[in-house]
Amino acid sequence: MFEKILFATTGTPICDNAAHVAFDIAKKYHSKIYTFHVLGLPSRGFSQYVVDARTGEEECYDQDYVSWVREELQNTYDKYLSDCKDYEIESVAGIPHTEILRKARQKSVDLIVMGAHSRQEETGATRYRGAVGTNMQKVARGARCPVLIVSRPCTTCLWYFSNIVFGTDFSKSSFSAFLFAYKLAREIGSKLYIFHSLDLSHVHAGKVISQEDIEVKIQEARQKIEKLYVPHMADYDNYEIGIWEGIPYVEILKFSRAKNADLIVMAHHTKEVDADQAILGSTVEQVVLRASCPVASVNHPDKVSG
Amino acid sequence: MPEGTLCNKLPINTKEELLTLLADKSGKKYYEEMNSLEVNVPALKALLDKTCKSRTRTWLEICSHCGMCADSCFFYLANHKDPRQVPSYKIQTTLGEMVRKNGNVDNAFMQMVMDTAWGKCTCCNRCGMYCPFGIDMGVMFSYLRGICFSQGFVPWEMKIGSGMHRVYRAQMDVTSEDWVDTCEWMAEENEEDWPGLQIPVDKENADIIYTVNAREPKHYPEDVAHAAILFHLAGENWTVPSQGWEETSLAMFAGDWEGCRLQVQGVYDAMERLKPKRMVVTECGHAYRATVIEGPYWAGLKSGKTPVPSFHYVEWVAEALRTGKLKIDPSKKIKEPVTYQDSCNYIRNAGLKDCAREIMSYIAEDFREMLPNKEHNFCCGGGGGLNGIGRYREQRNIGLKVKRDQILATGAKLVITPCHNCWDAIRDMEEVYHIGIRWSFLKPLLLQMVVVPDHLKPEE
Repeated sequence: MFEKILFATTGTPICDNAAHVAFDIAKKYHSKIYTFHVLGLPSRGFSQYVVDARTGEEECYDQDYVSWVREELQNTYDKYLSDCKDYEIESVAGIPHTEILRKARQKSVDLIVMGAHSRQEETGATRYRGAVGTNMQKVARGARCPVLIVSRPCTTCLWYFSNIVFGTDFSKSSFSAFLFAYKLAREIGSKLYIFHSLDLSHVHAGKVISQEDIEVKIQEARQKIEKLYVPHMADYDNYEIGIWEGIPYVEILKFSRAKNADLIVMAHHTKEVDADQAILGSTVEQVVLRASCPVASVNHPDKVSG
Repeated sequence: MPEGTLCNKLPINTKEELLTLLADKSGKKYYEEMNSLEVNVPALKALLDKTCKSRTRTWLEICSHCGMCADSCFFYLANHKDPRQVPSYKIQTTLGEMVRKNGNVDNAFMQMVMDTAWGKCTCCNRCGMYCPFGIDMGVMFSYLRGICFSQGFVPWEMKIGSGMHRVYRAQMDVTSEDWVDTCEWMAEENEEDWPGLQIPVDKENADIIYTVNAREPKHYPEDVAHAAILFHLAGENWTVPSQGWEETSLAMFAGDWEGCRLQVQGVYDAMERLKPKRMVVTECGHAYRATVIEGPYWAGLKSGKTPVPSFHYVEWVAEALRTGKLKIDPSKKIKEPVTYQDSCNYIRNAGLKDCAREIMSYIAEDFREMLPNKEHNFCCGGGGGLNGIGRYREQRNIGLKVKRDQILATGAKLVITPCHNCWDAIRDMEEVYHIGIRWSFLKPLLLQMVVVPDHLKPEE
């Protein structure tokens, strides 16, 4: 299922939770794991200087510096690497999301694991096309494989994964997310929850919906799920359909808690990549930031169909 | 004759040499070696005899030291009108002195020349416009850089840059495979949002051959995607070459004349090979100057012109908007005050000022000119390779003050910079001076406001 995993890290404690999950999964699935760090942003025109992503200091980008960074990463993740049979550590300079996507494509990885955001440790390096902070969004949107985003310690992750919640808005990319959730559930024998939240957030704008209307819409959503997803599951019956009404990200978080989910799968297909709006701009980002379990974002069918 | 292992008169020609030079952190050893690099006086004399022709000698001779060029130089203005920053002083004490001494100069002199030619002049050619005799110090400094290069007195990054062109035919270590792969990647990444989007490689007889700056595939591949999407929306029949795709020339900044020739030859070969109707280059100023304005002479083309007519990106955008190939949604025009950075290389030195104004008339509601502007505009402060040279970082940052004050005076918070060097300098300016501005190439802005025809929209 996950032959090759790309763990994209800032190399700082903010990625510790993601590291834990990434290496655990690699161990469980005997995956090859690429620990990948974009060490600095190219700076000063075409020069050899980069602004180090961790310190914000200007550094000279050469083989020496890259090996030093690799060694640091090796030390940082030593406790995990000793358990890994097959791993590589790589570091390059560049715009983080660009280099992560480039690497994922080059190695044809099956999963990218990363932290949610690095805003807490913003350095001078961020003064760059608003790059940092939107990396997660850009990677999630562009990656051809599922992207597992881990922002908080996973309290329910005992053995990846027992209860998978797939949240759908019935979009095209959501189907890719479904395929991934279903295949994973089937392969590892976990329970799959197919969840949809009836969006009532517009109620605040003065529009009133009667209880009858809500119930009709819930019924419609259920039929949609039965039509769109259920036929693709053949004889697999370890699933449950859930439809709650409210503000989508709140409902999916509540549902996941109720079901003790250890993985939420969603599509991340917002078009908006404006640097200022991005991080809190969509349901999936709200879920990522607040969920107590990892969130997989799947937008493309490449690695999940077939 | 003492020659360093890193700092010497030989250009970089192999990957190994390049890596060895790169491994010398910040050029520490390189500059140490430079202190004992001997000047080859006979060679210098011979070079002056052969290349310092009547125009240059006349210019040096007729300068009447009137000082009209002083206020034209942003370095002079930014350095509290230091007389040592007057362009005529700068050229007279370097090239002038070298010619008067007929090449009989020493190491200390050559280092002073190097520090002046790269650290006190960006070859923006503004002074030439204000000289009553039309003496162009920028042109002479470009020439002087070539002399310095031949003697090994060249900033560390410039030697690397010229070496990159010689080894990779690109200013960065991007191979043709990397380039083609980036094009494929960008087409794949955008095909869902833009059905039918392609980045055709090596297509013969296209209307447009598109060439770029190596930094795009290296660090900002989305720029290549943006170009592709805009060509796609405009319905252009276009292509990129797998070889000869890089238009820039750090060799030009370095004064590596042979490197310059090698670089443009590759681009011209691509034109000959693929027979496009015309060439369009990305939003880069010096690339245009190198390949379109100066290149034909380096390559020995008698016509003084590129093998096919060549256009800067702003020319293509102006044309596309004028002819309606690209249409702007009026409600999406830029509403906030916005200003435009006139790049020396394609505005002052190639006359494309009207294209820039035409574009602004289509896309901006509150366009504010910098003062002065058009061909009189000041250099961004990072031209001529200065952005990338660590040795002159401080001088560069001081020089940025002139551009900073020009931008602040417009009241605009958004600066359109269709030139990589200007874009970098203004980015760095924000990092140094924190004036709260944003800067952008044209492509991402156009993508936000262009009308997408129904048949090109993705199905949902």
